[in-house]
Amino acid sequence: MLSLNNVSKSFGGVKAVDKCSFEVKENTITSLIGPNGAGKTTIFNIISGLTKADSGTIRLSDRNIADLAPYKIAKAGISRTFQLTKVFRNMSIKDNLLIAKNANDNDIKKILESVYLHKPLETLASELSYGQQRLLELARSLLMPHSLLMLDEPTAGVNPEIRRELKLILRSLKKNGKTVLLIEHDMEFVMGISDVVIVLNEGKVLKEGKPKDIVKDKKVLEAYLGK
Amino acid sequence: MPSILPQLIINGLIAGSIYALAASGFSLVYYVVKFMNFAQGAIITIAAYLFFLFGSVLGINYALSALLSIIISILAILSMNLIVYENLRKRKATNVVTMISSLALLIFSSALVLAIFGSSTKTISLYNKTFDFGIFTVTLIQLIIICSSVFLFLLLWVVLKKTRLGKAMRSLSDNKEAAQVIGINPEKIYTYAFIIAGILGSISGILIGLEQNLYPRMGVPIIIKGFISSVVGGINSVYGSIVGGLFIGLVEILGIWFLPSGYRDVISFSILLLFLLFKPNGILGVKKRDDS
Amino acid sequence: MIHEYLISILTFISIYSIIVLSLNVVIGFTGLINLGHIVFVGIGAYASAILALNGVPWYISIFAAGILASVFGAAIAAITSRLKGDYLAMVTLGLVFIAVAVSRNWISLTRGALGLPGIPDIIKNNFHYMIFTMAISALSVFLFYRLTNSETGKIFQAIRDNEVAASVLGKNTYFYKIISMAASTFFAGIAGSLLAHHLNFVDPTIFELDFIVTMLVMLIAGGLASITGSVVGVFILYALSESIRFIVVNPSIVGAFREMVFAVVLILILIFRPRGMFGKVDI
Repeated sequence: MLSLNNVSKSFGGVKAVDKCSFEVKENTITSLIGPNGAGKTTIFNIISGLTKADSGTIRLSDRNIADLAPYKIAKAGISRTFQLTKVFRNMSIKDNLLIAKNANDNDIKKILESVYLHKPLETLASELSYGQQRLLELARSLLMPHSLLMLDEPTAGVNPEIRRELKLILRSLKKNGKTVLLIEHDMEFVMGISDVVIVLNEGKVLKEGKPKDIVKDKKVLEAYLGK
Repeated sequence: MPSILPQLIINGLIAGSIYALAASGFSLVYYVVKFMNFAQGAIITIAAYLFFLFGSVLGINYALSALLSIIISILAILSMNLIVYENLRKRKATNVVTMISSLALLIFSSALVLAIFGSSTKTISLYNKTFDFGIFTVTLIQLIIICSSVFLFLLLWVVLKKTRLGKAMRSLSDNKEAAQVIGINPEKIYTYAFIIAGILGSISGILIGLEQNLYPRMGVPIIIKGFISSVVGGINSVYGSIVGGLFIGLVEILGIWFLPSGYRDVISFSILLLFLLFKPNGILGVKKRDDS
Repeated sequence: MIHEYLISILTFISIYSIIVLSLNVVIGFTGLINLGHIVFVGIGAYASAILALNGVPWYISIFAAGILASVFGAAIAAITSRLKGDYLAMVTLGLVFIAVAVSRNWISLTRGALGLPGIPDIIKNNFHYMIFTMAISALSVFLFYRLTNSETGKIFQAIRDNEVAASVLGKNTYFYKIISMAASTFFAGIAGSLLAHHLNFVDPTIFELDFIVTMLVMLIAGGLASITGSVVGVFILYALSESIRFIVVNPSIVGAFREMVFAVVLILILIFRPRGMFGKVDI
């Protein structure tokens, strides 16, 4: 449903993404992994339009979205979260969610339950813990109408309990026919949940395959551990 | 028309040097302390009026007057830092809040000067001499202004590149956390940055006071031009302010060849907008590191 | 006599309330640090003055003032849409100098430094004019309350808190920033018109810089993103400003003293109570 073709991006001479091509198939959980600086977040930013690629095409269900403004890409059906959570600090949980979509209190409660965030609706986002803010952001991205959900390191900085809950959330998303693209550092988490794993190194796709094939691959080990 | 071109260029250089002088302290504080300090305009005003007070009203000799003005101006900027900015930093106020408080300090100082000296314009009449080079004329004070802007630029360059203090400032500017980890005390370096800004501001103030009339609000348009110069030159570089100041001065003077002189501010502001839209890193083009 | 004095104060408070409320929409609710708000008040005042002096009835001139200010506001928002924080603040502050230059030099339109005298009253009776400005002020409170609590208002606040997040949630932040500025400057223009018809005179000194500090202190003392705060802020600080007149004996320094007091109050609030009385957000 989403395909990148020869996407490149340089920042002042440094190639952050180098002729990157891959595809995300419908109703799969696809994970992007790779060492720090491999270009994972840059790819996310390019897909969601926050960073413009220097070259290459990005197709979402046969529509080229490479030149669209971020809000149009969002409307085209891509919902995402950020590595450093971006909630609306001075707004209540409810208002944070209403920005994503007009919903009644019942729907809002349901979506909050599905991410295991149990807090009064009028609580300000700034009063939540960091882990809870991540859950709120996740709920918000789930609520926004979308065909593809992109999560940037959802387990970073959250406690083990929330991490377990995240796994459950992702499994139920897949069961409900959703498509997810994930950036994740936690290998156990990635291998336990992904259908496809894409390994990036220095802006290039190093390897693509099923989790069990990736674990065995020598090149991948080298990218992580050095030669 | 070409016969007056050399004179226009000289006039542009003079105006540009004044902007560069005003911008230098402003952009040093922006570079090190990371906020736009309007109160640099207050320092310029205070120094000009003090020089007027000591030299023209009290009749103290001009060298001593200048020295006294510079010292008091440094004390003024240090107290602003101590009373206002340091407290704002303690409560982790944003740079916008600090900027607004500096605007309040500028208005406060202008009003104080107005209350003490009155609203009428003042002039400092000091020995001056006009040099006639045939194709253009320039006064001694104007020559001093042009030379001072070059001199202060060199001074700034030496401080930043050749001294331990300069290294500390650059590392602090680049990454505050990293600088602290290697043993740099930000508050101490900020104090030094304000002292240098005070010196730059007060010398500018005295020179501007010699060239132009003094009035209580004189700091406001000067610091706006200082800001424009910094942005056009490249606000992430301290030297950008000098380049930008001269550039703005020249373009303004050449611009009012075509437009009524009242539109001078419109010209520089249009240039500012063009730069912000199309070349936000300025002439020197130093890029701020991407945070992502 | 005291009666007339009170009427005059309440008229000014009503007009200032509109100005500060409209500023709150852009700064407090949308997070756009507009320091050039007075420019739009001035555009409204000049537009209304010029139209009224050419025989246009007041109900048209007042409306045209709002529209013209709003068009300028929208244009400025469109041009500066990529700027944030202190950059936007400096650029909008620069607008004040453009406004001064134009109002001083476009002599055929503004008569330059001489200003435009003889702007007709809307209502001759001062008491009735006070009621009129209060009504418009109340109307603006109502409309801004509705706006900020609407879906659009929520999007303004989302942009203030995190513009990137708002855009990846499908909100055209460019468009909404323009809407915010247009709505705000419409009322700034109306307030300018009310001011011009009240003072019967407008000249380039309307763009005085200290007025920015006056507006900011009223706004921040009241509290950002609080409608109540803006109205209360204007009341209290206007009262403070008027009381200075009775404390300072030397009339020639009343103005300077007032500016100093406002500047100090602003700094103290920013240090010790940045959310003011009713504020909900920090900038």
